[in-house]
Amino acid sequence: MSNATTQELKTDQLFINLGPQHPSTHGVLRIGLTIEGEVIVKAVPDIGYLHRGTEKLAEVRNYHHCVVLTDRWDYVSAMPNNLVFCLAAEKLMGVKTTPRADALRVIMCEMNRVASHLLFFGTYGIDLGAYTPFLYAFREREMVLDLFEMLCGARLTYNYIRLGGVMVDVSPDWLKRTGEFVEYFKPRLDEYDTLLTYNPIFMARTQEVGIVSAKEAVDWALSGPNLRGSGVDHDVRKSDPYSGYENYQFDVPLGKTGSCWDRYFCRISEMRQSLRIVEQAIAKLPEGPIMASGVAKIPKPAPGEAYAHVEGSRGDLGIYLASDGGISPFRLHVHAPSFINLAMLQEKLVGMKVSDVIALLGSIDIVLGEVDR
Amino acid sequence: MTNDELFAKISAKFPKIDKAAVPVKDYLTVRLATTSDLVPFSQWLKDNAFDMLETVTATDLLGPVDMKGYISQMNFNPFLPEGATPQIVAAATTGYPYKPAIDLLYIFYSVDLRARVFLRLEIAREGVSVPSLVPLFKSADWQERETFDLLGVRFDGHPNLIKILTPDFTVGHPLRKDYVHIKDRFDE
Repeated sequence: MSNATTQELKTDQLFINLGPQHPSTHGVLRIGLTIEGEVIVKAVPDIGYLHRGTEKLAEVRNYHHCVVLTDRWDYVSAMPNNLVFCLAAEKLMGVKTTPRADALRVIMCEMNRVASHLLFFGTYGIDLGAYTPFLYAFREREMVLDLFEMLCGARLTYNYIRLGGVMVDVSPDWLKRTGEFVEYFKPRLDEYDTLLTYNPIFMARTQEVGIVSAKEAVDWALSGPNLRGSGVDHDVRKSDPYSGYENYQFDVPLGKTGSCWDRYFCRISEMRQSLRIVEQAIAKLPEGPIMASGVAKIPKPAPGEAYAHVEGSRGDLGIYLASDGGISPFRLHVHAPSFINLAMLQEKLVGMKVSDVIALLGSIDIVLGEVDR
Repeated sequence: MTNDELFAKISAKFPKIDKAAVPVKDYLTVRLATTSDLVPFSQWLKDNAFDMLETVTATDLLGPVDMKGYISQMNFNPFLPEGATPQIVAAATTGYPYKPAIDLLYIFYSVDLRARVFLRLEIAREGVSVPSLVPLFKSADWQERETFDLLGVRFDGHPNLIKILTPDFTVGHPLRKDYVHIKDRFDE
């Protein structure tokens, strides 16, 4: 429709609330949309419905207790949350973890990445009207959650990675089952491609929609698949390796145009890479203790500051931790990727059609627990 | 580029910028002397490949506050038996430089160089504002709002400096050490 025509057909502006209880907002996010016909002229995301103040809560708990709080940020993939807090606290305390604990941490984080991306894959399909992939994705996600339940007794809030190491060692049976899952899951990914990835309707709804250029992505400080979907090669596992990631062979999948489909495809490709890492880690799992010696029951790190970050399922998850020598952190700040990725919505939504809002919002893959903390 | 090379490059251009007394472990941490240096230095960083502003946050350096005088309901710890005195957990540490000030933290990242610069800036707790970095980095938008909401730092020139995380009825800035929680309808 040409500009002149739109001028003639100018209608009243309409304000609609998307959320807080909308199935596609994946939690309690409200977007105040001002629309003119089908086109969005203003978008105001409203967050904070799930704000629990974990940064403040950490200031009155000791370091071991804080690990429990971390589970509640990104509850869809809690392992990287546990890991990043432990890395920061270990830096502060000067604790060095054992090779076996490092390898176990890597296995758990990559398995959790698979589980998290499966949730994205399933729900993104639903957002765009494809119900079937959801059933497939949750069938596989359940298998990963069952493995975690077998390992540490929890399906969502694991609290498995502890200061100085991990909670329990894995059993040979667990390793065998995980290996079986990896073998089972590889052909499933090809199945997903036929179900959703190369589905013409799905491609038409995502390939030209929500394009974020590389420059914009860097300006908004996006991270994770959202940044890599725009073709920016940034992965914490490569640029700032932790827990021995430098010892594993894997690729960093990049998108081309930065469209919703590119971000989606980055995640699908990342699952294959995660499986590669899990296979390697299981094959050369070192023997030895799972817990470093010298972690106090109530740690009191010397005054100082530390920053640690990991490539979480949603992006660059960082923790800034300051200690004044007491038993609690003096300051804990979470660099939450979902929060920062979501900020671009207020600008990117303007000018889009209402039906494309869900396509963009779903492709950013936010978890509101992490946005609000 | 190592941290020392990077710091040499910075001090050649900005001789007044010094390394922070307490560095963030393993990263280059520099401290600004005045707020007026913030925008020129950020602009210089942006022009020199540090094109991503990862984090804006702050720490309240006020020491631990005895909560007894502040909280109307004494037994605020639900794990303590009824009537017990709450334990003051964060015991004051001798030698730690507690002071009534807010310490800002900015993290700049360069995708090309794969390097980070941690920038610290100390400001007074009341009546001081900091220039906003939103004109330079869009990512500052929500993070400055968060810092305003939780720590009460005001950013000059921010297009939309309003609360972001806490509810409208929350009074005060929760991450300040002397924050007093006033009972609201959700406490019952």
